[in-house]
Amino acid sequence: MRSAAIIGVGQSAYRRRPEPGQSTHTFIRDAAVAALADAALDARDVQGMAVASFSLAPDTAVDLAWKLGLSLRWLLQDTNGGSSAMNMLGHALRGVESGVADVILVVGGDATGLAGYGKIAANYNIATRDHLAPLGHGGPNGVYALVASRQMKAYGLDKSDYGHIAIAQRAWAAKNPFAVYRTPLTMEDYLAAPMVADPLSRYDCVPVVAGAQAIVVAHPDRAPRDRAAVRVRAHRASFNYDNQEGDGLKTGISTFVGDLWREAGVAPGDIDVASIYDDYPTMVLAQLDDLGMIADHDLARFCRREVGEKRFPLNTWGGMLSAGQPGGPAGGLNGIAEAVLQLQGRAGERQVKDARLAVATGYGMTMYRYGGTAAAAILERTP
Amino acid sequence: MSAGIVIWRCKGCGTAVFPQRLLCPHCHGAAFDEDRVHQGVIEEVSVIRHMIGQTDWQPRRIANVRTPGGPSITVGLRDGSEPGTVVELEQEEGAPYARAKVRS
Repeated sequence: MRSAAIIGVGQSAYRRRPEPGQSTHTFIRDAAVAALADAALDARDVQGMAVASFSLAPDTAVDLAWKLGLSLRWLLQDTNGGSSAMNMLGHALRGVESGVADVILVVGGDATGLAGYGKIAANYNIATRDHLAPLGHGGPNGVYALVASRQMKAYGLDKSDYGHIAIAQRAWAAKNPFAVYRTPLTMEDYLAAPMVADPLSRYDCVPVVAGAQAIVVAHPDRAPRDRAAVRVRAHRASFNYDNQEGDGLKTGISTFVGDLWREAGVAPGDIDVASIYDDYPTMVLAQLDDLGMIADHDLARFCRREVGEKRFPLNTWGGMLSAGQPGGPAGGLNGIAEAVLQLQGRAGERQVKDARLAVATGYGMTMYRYGGTAAAAILERTP
Repeated sequence: MSAGIVIWRCKGCGTAVFPQRLLCPHCHGAAFDEDRVHQGVIEEVSVIRHMIGQTDWQPRRIANVRTPGGPSITVGLRDGSEPGTVVELEQEEGAPYARAKVRS
């Protein structure tokens, strides 16, 4: 089997709202162009493309290929929301490894504006449209408010524990020129922020922005000469892991975590940097705990010590909570791209010293009471 | 408005589900009986104070309700009930609501 790796990353500018002349398509174009330039490839080199977006319709993937002038032999459109990025990465790796395509461009992006996002949130699936939206449930904010209350009770968390995540990620965002929210955040700011859906306040809820992100998957030898490609040591995904019969405090990661670490041949303690899908701090903790990265399942201590005292490099681009979420799909690609930059020593001011191994996750598709999709990968800098 | 919430009970193994499914998640049987659940206990409550994309929004309360031997259901709360409260369930055009059960 051939080898496959991530050889380039790129993103569009992020905007709080799309400006006149900007659309989902133009943001995706900008990210695609940036990623290909980063990989030192020409658009003519691209043989495959994967795309995920909530706002591409009525266009589909082939329409996007047409508008980008890409003639392809491999094409995928993914609909798994917050784990779309990780899902597309897995398929793209297999696509290159199997020899179906030499170079695959993976893109995600959205430019819905708030009103557009509100419509998407209310019509996310039939269960949401028929049984949640009529209640005025507030979209995912309301759903994860209930999950957060459950988590606080189950693990003895205080509101300020979540604050450590929001504050630490904002500090990372200050070092990321692409982040939309970069003003330093204090615990006083965090605790004084207006409530959105109790117990979630402003800084617990991922801010919707407009933008796109892309990565390039190809044989590692295609990487630009001045840098190492990033290999994926292990990749796993889960879909509808518990039929929505649990409490949402575990994610689908819990179903494959043993296989993930075994295949990677490393342990949670070996990880140098983590990109954990962060639509809400609650779900960051749930995923980290499922990954076995929280000692003794003590979520509160992890927040106060590992995150609050900056001992653990978590979501070093600021996460979606501070950099912004340009739709779930691109949001997931952010984490992968940041892991790549860190492992290649290209993260600038936010570089984690000697980063060699990273974990990245995706989580999403709020089917009814919590998310039903999850995926994770262990990434490594090639020698 | 109708009393209780319609749920679906698998004819094969008795598992109750809400929302409706195509196959039972446990025995994968395709036949269900329609049933109604009339009460449950509130486990968590949230107040939705802000709605994405809307500027004229009045706060609403939602809750997670555990039904006896049945599924957990997200409801709109008609009153100020808090966690632990036993509530009566009702349905309006498919959407589930609840209010505190009046002691008889």
